[in-house]
Amino acid sequence: MTDRTRIAVSRALLASAVILYLPANAIPVMTISLPGQVDDLTVLGGVEELYTSGLVPVAGIVFLASILVPFLKILALAWLHALQGSDRQRRARLIIHGFLAKVGTWAMIDIFLLSVLTAVGQLGVLASVQPREGAFFFCALILSTYFSAEVYKPHLIWQESPAEAR
Amino acid sequence: MHTTHNEHPMPAEMRAWLVCKRCLAPCKDRNLSKGEYLRCGRCHAQLKSFKQGNSFNPLWAFSSTALICMVLANTYPILNFEVAGKSQQNLILTGIQSLWSEGFGLIAALVFFCTIVAPTIYLGALWYMGGACTLEARWPGLRLAAKTAAMLESLNLLPVFAVACIVSVVKLRTIGNVTWDMGAFWIGAASLFTLLSMQAHNSGQIEIQLEQSQ
Repeated sequence: MTDRTRIAVSRALLASAVILYLPANAIPVMTISLPGQVDDLTVLGGVEELYTSGLVPVAGIVFLASILVPFLKILALAWLHALQGSDRQRRARLIIHGFLAKVGTWAMIDIFLLSVLTAVGQLGVLASVQPREGAFFFCALILSTYFSAEVYKPHLIWQESPAEAR
Repeated sequence: MHTTHNEHPMPAEMRAWLVCKRCLAPCKDRNLSKGEYLRCGRCHAQLKSFKQGNSFNPLWAFSSTALICMVLANTYPILNFEVAGKSQQNLILTGIQSLWSEGFGLIAALVFFCTIVAPTIYLGALWYMGGACTLEARWPGLRLAAKTAAMLESLNLLPVFAVACIVSVVKLRTIGNVTWDMGAFWIGAASLFTLLSMQAHNSGQIEIQLEQSQ
């Protein structure tokens, strides 16, 4: 893959992530059914539920990993692309790129949570957990941001101008 | 190029060039003394550090332990959930099966890849490189193992899965009784030894060892 293709693919994936961010957070990712109660939970709804149950630290972890990390990744990638070809803040851009690679996949925590809850939540009318369509959007969002950051290699930060990208 | 401690100049003809893997800048190589390391002059990434004794032993030991823990983590149930006398246990695979049977095959495949396939192949590649470098042997496919490990490092999400298990237990406690099972211990151990293996994995050092063995 040439550098020019890398930049184009990374930008396309970033655009997908921006589009997917809203449905990923607005459409329910799971339905929890308990006797006399059925709850459709979005990612943010899950955090809210944990918070209102008094599980503030856990709510904090899920909020950070599932909502803040994808949002910050989108912002950081947009910033990297905005400064592509310029010689400004190269050190800071490199640090941000390292951050993207390190924390990017932590958003998968919500999908793993869904997998564990679906596995044990098979107790019929007593307690059941079903995955919902929002999980697809959320996965697509995570994969878009992951591959957008993965395709954008750090050496591209040192390219002087877009014309140099070959 | 930045170095720590004292410079030990070598004859010019003996100096070779290293390419920084992060920013692709060419950097001049040189022999290092104890406590020294080479950094890229452009992006400051560590290119090479002083190798003392057989420094690949920890990598081999940690990756072997992590692989054994991985097998056990996939064999024993993680937790037991009980509501009104009815209970349900789960393995890593049961979660994947449930997602699959609910019609979420793509998500099931992603979870399967990130929690079982990628960590196993990644640890296998580390184990293979660690073994070859420790024994100073020329095992076949070492370059492929190095490439595979570099590719799968960020997709090895076992530690993230371990945190997700803790979060799910906290959440399930609001609904019914939850008890940890042996699988949780092995997932924790596998995650810990995976992180230690990642820490012990010095790709630059392995690259040098591979070049020397050739």
